[in-house]
Amino acid sequence: MNYLPWVTAAWLFAVGIYGVMTSRHYVHLIGCLTVMQSATYIALLSVGYRFGSVAPIFYARSDSTPAVDPVLQAMVLTDIVVGATVTALLLALTLQVHKKRGTVNPERLRPLRP
Amino acid sequence: MTRRMRLVLAALCALMIAPAVVAVIGRMPAFGHHPLPYGDAINRTTVAQRHVTNMVSAVNFDYRAFDTLGEELMLVAAVTGTLVLLRGRRGESLSDRAAQAGERPVCERSEAVTLACRLFFPIIVTFGIYVIMHAQLTPGGGFQGGAIIASGTLLLYLGESYRLWRRLVHSLLFDMMEATGAIVLVLCGLGPMLRGAAFLENVLPLGQTGALICGGIILVENAGVALAVTAGFILLLVEFLEETRATRDGGGS
Amino acid sequence: MIALLVPMFLLVAATGAGVVLAREPRRQALAIAVNGVALSLLFVALRAPDVAYSEIAVGTALVPLMFLSVLVSLKTDRPKS
Repeated sequence: MNYLPWVTAAWLFAVGIYGVMTSRHYVHLIGCLTVMQSATYIALLSVGYRFGSVAPIFYARSDSTPAVDPVLQAMVLTDIVVGATVTALLLALTLQVHKKRGTVNPERLRPLRP
Repeated sequence: MTRRMRLVLAALCALMIAPAVVAVIGRMPAFGHHPLPYGDAINRTTVAQRHVTNMVSAVNFDYRAFDTLGEELMLVAAVTGTLVLLRGRRGESLSDRAAQAGERPVCERSEAVTLACRLFFPIIVTFGIYVIMHAQLTPGGGFQGGAIIASGTLLLYLGESYRLWRRLVHSLLFDMMEATGAIVLVLCGLGPMLRGAAFLENVLPLGQTGALICGGIILVENAGVALAVTAGFILLLVEFLEETRATRDGGGS
Repeated sequence: MIALLVPMFLLVAATGAGVVLAREPRRQALAIAVNGVALSLLFVALRAPDVAYSEIAVGTALVPLMFLSVLVSLKTDRPKS
């Protein structure tokens, strides 16, 4: 249990890289990139976790209840939304590539080939 | 480089990196016993210092507002890039009218779907506005509420015809909304400097803990982020759904 | 809480592998949605409700929809060449 979060993050990252390497369709490749991003979210949130503590919201609780780290949650929260926007940009680039070259297979799209 | 050679090379690199990964995993701090003091300091002092009860919002919009400014400008840049790529093919002047469906078969919406979408769309938009407004009290904020409202407008597309959806969702309005959101956040940074305070310092009155209006500049930044995220996602959805229509005259580039 | 966290981590690892192994892009869009739901449940178990809000709205509704609309455009938009 001590190593499970880090192993999960490393596993997701490795699986994502394997997917990027062996992909045959650019849209599938972008999906594997999102898996790699989720590995970083898991790693960050697992760093801040404490056993027996609550979420860092003190609306109905006293100030000194032990809570998890809010800084890491702030980082991951903005990261998720911006990551989705960058995924949209990558998808728009895929549409452009398909328009210009007629294919979205990374194997067939080598640079400097007419 | 053939595919097989690429895979062999990747396997070799993985073998070389694997000991480093194992060593790092072995030396990470024990899970569940987070040792660093910064988070504890924020948890203990923020309620008294800033009169808000959501620590994550206080970190996002006050203590580390500089990072949020960078993230929001990154979001605006990515949305702008996507819009330039997708609208550039069609031309800017057509951006307010719905395109044709081409020779793709268009299926008739069933009445049950239309009814369900009409029922749920106002509920989701209200819930999104509630999440945005309660950023400083309970879990929520501009980022989350903006994503919720944008995914609620998808119900409009699902339940009504494409033509009606394009008439209700004006690209120009959301362009302006996104720019307004970015400008509000930048002004929250430059405004305090006019009074002699630091960039992005919390100079507005802090209010009472637990009330809806508390936190000072956190509310204004939250509103700016909500505007930009909602408008950004809706613009992206409009462009992507417009791409599924056939091009008008064989398309230019 | 350990009894809840271990299956959640394993579920996320499984759905992440499912996203990569779904080679057909249309199936992958739905696999991304399932991955989004599993991730938000994990984030709630890790005491991060704000992050779970973001991940549900983004990962379950917006990203799969963008994927599916791009796939439709790729099929209907034949290039000139």
